[in-house]
Amino acid sequence: MTQGDRLMIVAVALLAVLAWPVTYLAASGRSDVVVVTGPHGRSEIPLEGPSTVDVEGAGGPVTVVIQDGEVRVAASTCPDKLCVRQGVISGPGEAIVCVPNGVTVRVGGGGDALDSVVR
Amino acid sequence: MRSTRWSADGETTRSLATAGLLVALGAVLGLVESSILPPLPVPGVRLGLANIAVVLALFLLGPRKALVVSILRVVLVGMAAGSLGGPAGLLALAGAVCAWAVMAGMASRGDAFSVVGWSVAGAAAHVIGQLVAACLVVGSAAPLLFAPVSLALSLGCGLSVGYSVRLLLSRLPLKVRAEVTG
Repeated sequence: MTQGDRLMIVAVALLAVLAWPVTYLAASGRSDVVVVTGPHGRSEIPLEGPSTVDVEGAGGPVTVVIQDGEVRVAASTCPDKLCVRQGVISGPGEAIVCVPNGVTVRVGGGGDALDSVVR
Repeated sequence: MRSTRWSADGETTRSLATAGLLVALGAVLGLVESSILPPLPVPGVRLGLANIAVVLALFLLGPRKALVVSILRVVLVGMAAGSLGGPAGLLALAGAVCAWAVMAGMASRGDAFSVVGWSVAGAAAHVIGQLVAACLVVGSAAPLLFAPVSLALSLGCGLSVGYSVRLLLSRLPLKVRAEVTG
C-alpha cells in the first residue's frame, strides 16, 4: 500500500463523516407526517396511522404501511425490492427510496432544505 | 510490480483476448454476486466483485480498454438481469462510469497509488455516481440521505476488492503478465 493509498482511504472515510450533516438538513421538518412523492405527485399522510396507502409508481403500485408511528414499504412492483428490505423508518428526515418506481417515502416535510441544497 | 504496466500502443491480439476474458469475468462476478449475495438494505451498496475485472483491466490493459470492459459487463449483466434501459441499469452505468473516471485518473499518476487505492476510490465514486443518478431518477434529493452509510460501507468493499486484485496479480506469472501488457 502506498502513501497515496492511505491518503485515499482517509479521504473516503472523511467524506463519509462529512456527509453526515447532510442528513440533519433533512431532519429539520415535522415528525408527525409522512410525505410520499411519486411520479404522479406527492401526498402527506399523518404518522399516527394505522393506514395503508397504495402509491402509483412508474412500474406499478407501491404499498406504504403506517403503523405505531413507523413507516414501511410492504410491497412494491420493482425488481429488486430494496425498498421493502429497508424495513421501517420513524425518525424525522429518514427516507425509503424505491428508485425503479420513482417513489420516495420520507418522514417529515423537511426535505425541502435538502432539495434546495442540491439545486 | 509496476515495471510491467500496459503500454499505450499495445493493441495486440493477446490484449484483445484478455479484454474479452475480463468482460466475461466481470459479467460472471456481477451475476454471481447479485444472485447469491442478497443486496444490502442500503441502496447503491454492494460488494462490487465485478470491479475486480475493471481494476485488472486498468492495470493490465490501460484506461481505454478498462472503460470498454466496464461498460460491456454492465450491459451484459443488465441484459441477463432484465434491468437494461431501466432505472436500475442507468444507476449501474452511472456508477461504473464514475468509478472508471476516478480510477483512470489515479492510474495516470504513475506509482502514487496502488490497485488498492484505485479500488477504494473507485468504490466511493461508484456510490456517489449511483446516488446522484438516483436523485435524478426520483426527482428528489432523498437518496443523498444514504450517502454517509453507503460511503462508509464502500470503504470496506473497496479494500476487499483491491486486495483481491493484488493477490490475483501477485499470482500471475511474470512471463504471462509481460505478454499481456505487451
